[in-house]
Parts: sequence; C-alpha cells; structure tokens
Amino acid sequence: MFSETKPWMRNTIYAWTAAVVVFIYIPIVVIIMASFVKSRFFRLPVRAWETKWYEEALTANLMHQLHLTSFYIAGSVAILSVILGFFGALAFARYEWKGRHLYQKLLMVPIFFPQAVLGLALLLWFTFLGIIPTWHTAIIAHLVWIAPIVTLVISIQVYGYDTAQEEAAFDLGANRFQVLREVTLPALAPGLLSGALFAFLLSWVNFSLSTYTTGADNTVTEWLYAKMIVGYTPLVPALGALSVYGSIIILVVGYLVYRARARSKAASS
Amino acid sequence: MTAKDGRKTILRIENLTKEFGHFTAINNVSLDIIDGEFFTIVGPSGSGKSTMLRILAGLERPTAGKVYIRDEVMNDVPANLRPTSMVFQSLALFNHKTVGQNIEFSQKMKGVGAKARRERCLEMMAMVHLPEDFVNKPITQCSGGERQRVALARALASDPDILFFDEPLSAMDFRLRKLLEVEFKDLHRRAKKTFVYITHSLEEAMIMSDRIAILRAGEVVQVGTPDEIYTTPNSKFVSEFMGEINTLEVERGKNGRFDCPQIGHSVKVANAPKDFDRGYLIIRPESVRFLKRKTDAENQATGILFNEYALGSRVQYHVKSAETTFIVERLREDAYQGNVDDEVMIGWDAADGILVSD
Repeated sequence: MFSETKPWMRNTIYAWTAAVVVFIYIPIVVIIMASFVKSRFFRLPVRAWETKWYEEALTANLMHQLHLTSFYIAGSVAILSVILGFFGALAFARYEWKGRHLYQKLLMVPIFFPQAVLGLALLLWFTFLGIIPTWHTAIIAHLVWIAPIVTLVISIQVYGYDTAQEEAAFDLGANRFQVLREVTLPALAPGLLSGALFAFLLSWVNFSLSTYTTGADNTVTEWLYAKMIVGYTPLVPALGALSVYGSIIILVVGYLVYRARARSKAASS
Repeated sequence: MTAKDGRKTILRIENLTKEFGHFTAINNVSLDIIDGEFFTIVGPSGSGKSTMLRILAGLERPTAGKVYIRDEVMNDVPANLRPTSMVFQSLALFNHKTVGQNIEFSQKMKGVGAKARRERCLEMMAMVHLPEDFVNKPITQCSGGERQRVALARALASDPDILFFDEPLSAMDFRLRKLLEVEFKDLHRRAKKTFVYITHSLEEAMIMSDRIAILRAGEVVQVGTPDEIYTTPNSKFVSEFMGEINTLEVERGKNGRFDCPQIGHSVKVANAPKDFDRGYLIIRPESVRFLKRKTDAENQATGILFNEYALGSRVQYHVKSAETTFIVERLREDAYQGNVDDEVMIGWDAADGILVSD
C-alpha cells in the first residue's frame, strides 16, 4: 500500500521530531539556566553564575512552608480522588443503572468549566456557608475539578477488565471482602495508581483554583506567581528547577525499581 | 434419591423457572443428574442454557422451582458456599496472578497453608498435563490451551462435588477444540467428579457426554444418551440440531404408507405410531444409498446429482429431487461411480426413516 520511504522523507521526519523535542525542552533548560544566574534578571549571554538561590530555596522556612502546603493539598487530593474515583468509575463504566447516562455527562461538566470561574464560584459558596478558606478548602476545590478526571482515568481500566473474574473468585469460595482485596483492587491497581499520580500532579501545579480558595495559606504556584508580579529574583526559577530535578529523580528511581522487579521475575520463572 | 439403576442423583432440578421481566428464559425445567456422570445441556443461543448453569452455580436466583445437591435445597446458598465450581466461558482467570496463584485461590480462601496449597496445586497441574515449571508463569504469558488447563486445574483444586462448564471451548480454534474435547472426557474419568457441561454444539456433546439434555426456548425437549439422541430423536428440532439430515414433510396416506408431496409419491415407514397423522420423516444421510435397480431399497427417489464434497473418510452428495434436496453420505470405499449432473436413483429402507413431530 505504501511506497518505500525516500531519504528526504525520513530526514524531514527526523528534523520535525527534533524540532518538537527542542521546543518542549528549551523552556526547561532556560529555567535551569536562569536559576544559576548571579544578576537579578536573566539576560543572554550570562556573565556570572552562582548557586546561592538554591541555598535559599532549600533552607528558607518560607520555602518549606510553601512546599508542605502544596504537598498536603496534593497528597490529600490524590488519596480522596482515588477513593471517589474508584467507586465513581464502577458506577460509570461497569453497572447499568437508571440515570447512568445523565451521570456520565454531569461528571464531565466541571472539567470543561473555566477554572478561574470555578474558583471564584467556590469561594463565594464557601463564604456563603460561613467557611473561612484555608488549604483545607483548597482540597475541596481541587477535588471538584480533579475527581472527575481521575474517575475517567480509572474508568478506562474498568472498561478493559473482565468482571467474570469476580464471579470466578466468588464461585471459588471468596466472600465479598476477599473478592475486593484479591481480585477487584489488584486488577484495577494500574488505573488507581495512574489516577493517583495524575491527581497529585494536577493539584501540585494548580494555580487558578488555589488562588481563590487557599485563603491566607500559600502554595508553591501562588508564591511563584506573586513573586513574578512583584520582586522577581532567580529564587523563582530555582524553585521551579527544583521541581524538575524532583521529577527526574522520581522517574529514574521508578525506572530502576521497575527494571529490578522485571529482572527478579525473569530469574524466578 | 436414587435413579432406576441404583446410582444416586447428585443434582436435582425441580420445576425451575427464570423470568427476566416479561421474558421467560427457563420454563419449568426438571432434571436429575446422576453422581459421577458427564451431563451436557445443549441448546442454540438464547435457549436459556447459560442462565440455567448460572442458577445451578448460585450466581443467579431462580424465579420459581428448586435446586437440590445431595438432597439439600440450594436455593438460598450463595455460590461461594456451594460444593461446586465453574469453568467460565471467558475462563475468567486472574490476569494479575501467576498460574500457581490462580490454581491455589480456592485453597487460600479456605485458609490452607502455603505449603499444602502448593502441593495440591502441583497435583492438579499434573492432572491437567501442565508442566510443573509453569507454576510461576504469569497468566498473560500463557497460550490458549494452557489457559484452558489452568482454568480446569483451578476449578478442580477446590475439590468440588460438581464441575460446571460454560462453553469453555467456544472461542478455541478447531484443532485445539478437538484436542480438549478428548482431554475433558479423559479428565472426567480420572477426576471421578460430576461434570455438567453446556454447549451449543451437539457434536461436541456427543463426543464427551454420558447423557445429554436438549434445551429449546427454555424447555427441555429430550434427555438421553448420545446413542438415544442419535438414533431416536423425538422432534424435528432435535434431529436438525444434530447437523445435516434429510427432513421430508409427510402425511398418513393409503395402505399404511405415508404421502410425501416433496418427492411426489408415497413412502413406506416401519413402526409408525398409530396416532401419527402428519409430521416429518427423518432420514440420516448415511442411510441413503445409490441404487442400481428399483428393488434395491424399499423407498426410492430419482434426481440430479449436483455436487459432491469430500469429508475425509466419507463423501457427501447433494441430489436434487422434485422439491427437495437429498443429502447422501457414503464411505470413501463405497463412493458413487459416476459424474456430477448424472441422473441418479437413490433409496432407503423403511426402518431407516424416523417419524417425528415439529
């Protein structure tokens, strides 16, 4: 059906791919460069380098506080959205019930809502209820947007899973709790894990919802934004670069663990 | 409960009915299944056979009627407490577990220790001809035939009184299916358990079963040994379900003969029931033969031989005669000596025709 690939075609594809990759990674490289700059503002060519902004990012109390707040919110959102998403996905993808189609549509709506509007709406609602916004209320705000996404992520796993496995377990003597522990949860585990990761990341980088709903507390993104507006220093890119290093470390460790497990599996069989 | 020949009934189905809304999937079915037999329930899709099996296994509740296992009413006993286990159509193996973990599942649920579990597992693997070193193999790396054997071993490991099979071979290719049919029958003899098997293939049922029940639209139409079903089908439905067969519409005529408008003359039938007025005459393809003279068989028809098919040890011929097409099957050494498009005379004896109703 296809004629053979000519050299110029292949070269074009390589060039295009390289361009896309460069386009994606250049901003990250720039952020890392900017974080080592001695002068206050980033200007090319860079004349002097230093690492003092990292010292501040790693030692300042405020930085710890920001990261902790972001971490508490993202961690709570990840756990809660996976619990909600697990049951939500079973209702979404598995059981046939009256109102299921309406539920499937209603669940999508918050995802498409502009986040700034959603944040404002939530703030108004909290005020109306007499709740003072703190990082706790931000968890609820994040959940409104993230739990539906996690439900969808887990649903994909539910769609591809043969529910006869549960009947088989039941038939082989397992009670309801054992079926859940031995079959349903392990079979859906990849979906639950990717759902949790997704939730954590979406919450960690979220700004629009946090800015309205954290009250006096500040997340990393809120602080970065504020610093961009007033009082920029290379501490801003340093903080950003630290997140990049964190991601790289997590990926590398994850890969090494995966490879070690695959090796031990291959050795045992 | 004891059957006529003194063997015990292990599973009794009494006036079983299952309705889904206005649809009756199973209509007042009663059956006795004897301890240790290979019993097959055959029916086309939609005949209610899967629903029946699910009720017997405790995965579905009947609308009315009772299920007994060894004289005990099972209606309110859920699947996990019944002394039965099932081999599912999709096999329903636990994909996140290894072969060994799958087979050991029921024992683990019972709280049996790891060492005893593994021992039992290896015993079951030997029983179904799985090599011992498969024990740590992930299910996802097993072939179709291996998965089938794991499913069998897993069901057997719980030491059930009765094993249910929900069309486990329907997704297999022809060669594997043939191989496993033989293995199932062989396993049944070695395992000394009662097997209740459902399938839409009467041919498959014939190969494996001690007795067969034929289900049609939620009702049992005939129960018998493969031989009884083959030689004395009690309806057109059963006889046609078995595969290619000659079916002629007949009506009682003069002199004890039966009129057959499809071939244009009357036919002689042996042992016709007195009250039989109209219905169908069933003639097996292997009972029809080519005639040299009219007197070579008690019934004759003439027609055009319009095709022949090699079936391995047999040859099948289609003969167009008046308003019907006869299917004739002969052994290869007894093949018709002539050409396609010949005008041929075929015939059969009165004793080879079976009269049935719809």
